[in-house]
Amino acid sequence: MRRRRSAAGLVRIAIASVGIGAAGLIYGFPLYWLVVTSLKSKGELFASSVHLLPHNPTLAAYSSVLIDRGFLVLLKNSVIVCISTVLVTLAFGLVITYPITRLQVPVALRVNILTWALSLRFLPPIAVVIPYFAIVRTLQIYDQPIALIGIYSLFNLPFAIWMLKGFLAEIPLELEEAAMVDGANRWTAFRLVLLPLAVPGIMAAGIIVFTFAWSEFLFALILTATPNSQTFPVGVQGLVTQFEIIWNDMAAAGVIAMALPLILMVIGRRYIVAGLTFGVIREK
Amino acid sequence: MRVVKKVGGRRLSRQERQAYLILLPAVGIVFVIVTIPFVLVVMQSFSADDGSWVGFRNFSRALGNPLLYDAIRATGVYTLIVLPIEILVGLGFALLVHRTVRRPGLRAAIYVLAILPLVVPPVAIGVVARLIYAPSYGVLNVILERLGLIHQEIDWLGTPTLAMLSVASVDVWQWTPFVYLVLFSGLQTVPRESVEAAQIDGVTWWTQFLYIDLFYLRPLFLLILFFRLADVLRVFDHIFILTGGGPGTSTQLLSLYMYRVEFKFFDMGQAAALAVVVLVSFSVIYTLISRFLPLERA
Repeated sequence: MRRRRSAAGLVRIAIASVGIGAAGLIYGFPLYWLVVTSLKSKGELFASSVHLLPHNPTLAAYSSVLIDRGFLVLLKNSVIVCISTVLVTLAFGLVITYPITRLQVPVALRVNILTWALSLRFLPPIAVVIPYFAIVRTLQIYDQPIALIGIYSLFNLPFAIWMLKGFLAEIPLELEEAAMVDGANRWTAFRLVLLPLAVPGIMAAGIIVFTFAWSEFLFALILTATPNSQTFPVGVQGLVTQFEIIWNDMAAAGVIAMALPLILMVIGRRYIVAGLTFGVIREK
Repeated sequence: MRVVKKVGGRRLSRQERQAYLILLPAVGIVFVIVTIPFVLVVMQSFSADDGSWVGFRNFSRALGNPLLYDAIRATGVYTLIVLPIEILVGLGFALLVHRTVRRPGLRAAIYVLAILPLVVPPVAIGVVARLIYAPSYGVLNVILERLGLIHQEIDWLGTPTLAMLSVASVDVWQWTPFVYLVLFSGLQTVPRESVEAAQIDGVTWWTQFLYIDLFYLRPLFLLILFFRLADVLRVFDHIFILTGGGPGTSTQLLSLYMYRVEFKFFDMGQAAALAVVVLVSFSVIYTLISRFLPLERA
């Protein structure tokens, strides 16, 4: 009996190892290759054989991308656009979710608002950007960060609303009511009681929105033209479609584009799936 | 809480009035911002570039363009490659980890690794894919040659079928972990008692999957379908980087095609008509699927 169980256990371990190992290779190698390529020197790119292992690694490509090509400015644009998007999205998200979670409203109102937010998730960006482009030209905000901030906030609002709704609903109503019995008005109760308790949830939603805005490419490609407002992904794309691709610069730009979201996800890891599935999947 | 008695029509309670007072400006602003482009695009779709009314001419040009049907076909093929693979592999992996990995630390590690691809910018993944598939420098050919599997370079991005598979592989790479994460957490909700009861009855793992696990996972498949479909229909970034829609129009999915009509051919009328058609058909698809979603709306 014991021997049979351990044999089954060995099979189990073998299958699991093969599966996880294969996945590790499929996910690990491309990222490994990106980093290795980014560490190559210009000379090595034209070498006749490709080295799979790092060979005289150098950070030259990074300084070439950030300084010689001036991508530091794009990085700055990205940060400005993303932080502004987060602030606008969270402000609107809170104003919309507060009444439907904290006040006694008819169920139908709550359902309608949430359904409406969900429908925005299905909105195809390319179909929206065609008229939005005309609006941006008319308002003369073409190639300005504000054009991106507006459209990013709109497209991230569904995530923010659904995430914040989940977080706010978990905070007991009695806490605010107690404050109001003690004489606080609704705004004070919101500011001094609810808001501090909701900070972790608001942070989580902020991280998710930041990550999405950071990745966005289509709107940025269409609505920006110069380093005045171009975001980092647009710069990366510029390196890729050139006639002659400088592989190490392109790889270095790819690494930089990935770095921030990956770091943020170490903090926001518990919330990303909840965010992506509108709260259906909750991390235990 | 004192609710004002109904007199004639329904009166609003104090809290409801407050709620509307807070909601109206915010929802109103968003509603206007969403609606203006809609109105504008409908107007554009019925006018020429100089603004004169042309009736349905833009629509007949848009719908009469054979490139549109190439784009729809490419989108369909892409969807039919990507969704089944992502769902099957994601499901397989979720079952594998659920049934074989017991150690909580290892499960947590797999969880963290699985969320990482989800947050990598598609543009950066396009760059990675380019490093792998590109002609003359792509590392996939190098590896295959060193292993002695091929003796001649394969042009991954230059032949229609391989190019489609290459761009699809990127989608599978990025989004299979999402399916895995959703289904894996779905498997956690399967009650242990029913599994134990089934195991006492001596059912095979396949029967257990078919009659117990699948029952609990069913609503999640719909959820995955909804979110993946929403993303697949808007996919743009990595294809733009990897093939730009080529070779020819073989990987020119709907969004790339519309981008080209508006921003490469500068045919605003046709692009607006396309946008209207796409918005209407997406709303239909959305209405069909969304009501069955297992979301907590109340």
